[in-house]
Amino acid sequence: MKFSKIGLLACAALGAIGVAHTASAEDVTLKVWSIDGRDRPGLADTFSKEFSDMDNGIKIEYRMIAFDDIVNETLRAFATGNAPDIVSVDNPDFALFSSRGAMLDITDRVAKSDIIKTDNFFPGPLNSVTWDGKLYGIPKYTDTIAVFYNKDLFKKAGIDHPPVTWEEFAADAEKLTDPANHVYGATFSARAGEEGTFQFLPIIQMSGGSFKKVNTEGAVQTLELWKKMIDNGWASKDVLTLGQWDSTGTFNSGNAAMAVSGNWEIDRMLDDAKFDWGVALLPTLTEGGDRSSALGGFDWGIMSGTKHPDEAFKALEYFDSQAKRLYSEFGYIPPRSDIKLASSGNERKDAAIAKFLEQLKYAQPRGPHPEWQKISKAIYDAEQAALTGQMSAKDALDQAQATIETIVN
Amino acid sequence: MKPLSSLRDGIGFDLALVGAALLFLLALAGLPLVYNVLMSFQKVDMFTLNALIRPFAGFQNYIDVYRQPEFWMVARNTLIFVFFSILGQFTIGFALAVFFGQDFPGAKVIRGLFLVSWVMPGLVVGAIWSWILAGDFGVLNSILRGIGLIDAPLFWKSDPSLSIWAVVIANIWLGVAFNMLLLSVGLAAIPRDLYEAAELDGANAWQRFCTITLPMMRSTVGAVLALGMIATLQQFDLFPALTEGGPANSSNVAQYWSWQMSFKLYDFAKGATISVMLFVLVLIASIVYVRSTRHEVRG
Repeated sequence: MKFSKIGLLACAALGAIGVAHTASAEDVTLKVWSIDGRDRPGLADTFSKEFSDMDNGIKIEYRMIAFDDIVNETLRAFATGNAPDIVSVDNPDFALFSSRGAMLDITDRVAKSDIIKTDNFFPGPLNSVTWDGKLYGIPKYTDTIAVFYNKDLFKKAGIDHPPVTWEEFAADAEKLTDPANHVYGATFSARAGEEGTFQFLPIIQMSGGSFKKVNTEGAVQTLELWKKMIDNGWASKDVLTLGQWDSTGTFNSGNAAMAVSGNWEIDRMLDDAKFDWGVALLPTLTEGGDRSSALGGFDWGIMSGTKHPDEAFKALEYFDSQAKRLYSEFGYIPPRSDIKLASSGNERKDAAIAKFLEQLKYAQPRGPHPEWQKISKAIYDAEQAALTGQMSAKDALDQAQATIETIVN
Repeated sequence: MKPLSSLRDGIGFDLALVGAALLFLLALAGLPLVYNVLMSFQKVDMFTLNALIRPFAGFQNYIDVYRQPEFWMVARNTLIFVFFSILGQFTIGFALAVFFGQDFPGAKVIRGLFLVSWVMPGLVVGAIWSWILAGDFGVLNSILRGIGLIDAPLFWKSDPSLSIWAVVIANIWLGVAFNMLLLSVGLAAIPRDLYEAAELDGANAWQRFCTITLPMMRSTVGAVLALGMIATLQQFDLFPALTEGGPANSSNVAQYWSWQMSFKLYDFAKGATISVMLFVLVLIASIVYVRSTRHEVRG
């Protein structure tokens, strides 16, 4: 008993020394919140620590918050005046904060900065941190979706190239479907959630629509095509409940010949997929038609209540200056077009990432709109209502349009 | 010293005890409830969430909720979910309670094992059933196919006509043990000699069940049904784990919808409105529960 008491005392003393050592009186402490660092070192926690360890009079107190909670937690903290100085959120959630004055306007600071250059960023991610012509944050990393295809199965089915149009995608899916071997032609995610919108919104965009105009003719036709694929068993009915990670899992195990999914899958696929695979751009509505793709990824923002805007901006500058390491160390795609990704030494991985970088040029953000979640729900509800046959594709998208109009107007 | 002594053993002591309990209830249950009801009549957005004074909205939130295209589907699903969950939990639970009430070797041990389902968190149960009910590679479909009941797999979670039943099945499994436990206690309280006397008079097992077991169990059954209804209306974990209310809201119920409104769409006023509507239902169940237990105290 005595021993443990001494141990405790020693710990407390050590702790006190630690505190005294790291926080000298004139140091400024910044609170940084992000989702990184749960089970392995992530980007935000690593960079925060590095910045903190520099002898610049600024310390960072980093807090990891789960993906599902970070918006709620930040809102609550903001409402009670305990907001962090810097926070990173999913890009469609960013407008919620910037449009309501919760994020600091950093337009002028960026204009004067020697490190952060708006020209460096891809237009999509940059758009997601822009509200009303002003800059409220900087993109943290980005990702997008494309089509993974199983080259072995394609060869077996006698198809020599990945699909170019959605019509072709469905036709290929029919040829690739092999119920005897439990192989579906294609898999995607049409789940009742953000992932459903993430995969369907590009269709609306490439057919000339946007999140404000969803009932385009092209969207109706493609939705009917997707329904046909599900009805005929070329895609599993479970695409309605599968998230992208699970859906791509069936591709990795060889149970689906094509998968619509994102670059975050590449590393797992290299481990799991025991066949030759490749990546193709998302199909278009007509040959040579307009391209679009979903834009994922997180953004950094300084909260408007911060007492240390200059120090917080320095931290953002440091984070941005380390963007070159995003891919090699953490597997993320930098949100910047000026960074060339170094070869990984794995030919298949490099070919895949090159395709995703090409796809990224067409990626369009979700929103920005402060009520993005409601718009998103209208879109995935319509998608699901049509795919389950509860409504015709036209009626479902018309209903979504009516709902969206009450939100955006 | 009169007040002190009356505090110790007079009416003052009773009042102090009741007062403490009331204060506790008021602070922990009353205030949030009032806050919730208040919020359903206000215009709330994210940035006024912590304020108490917000613009008054009248019944607009209620009208808005009612006008949501999914309102009737959610109402229907909630009724299906509550009714069939309770029906399943209760009948299976009762049957098991009667069965394990018989004295046979190992009865108590096996009955104890049933409690495993009750101890498990809803999210875990949901995850397990999510695998069992999976369309392409689910266990249930393999079994049904094996015994020749179906030729094509049923997509329990993704077929809009089945999705609510997927959650009902999982919820029945989750609640059976609790029902069995309570009903077992009720059964144990019935004096054995009643059965012996009836048996001597020539009543068969079915007659003994209808004339002795059921009437003697009346108050227990009332309590079990009311508690079952409350627990079912509270059931939340299974929804995010199994179907997320989809596809296309075909398995969405009021309690999950309320959460979606508040914490997915950040429409806290509508979330509060739905929960107030739900509260009225729970209130009815509570009244049934209180009435059934009052009978017990008097009897």
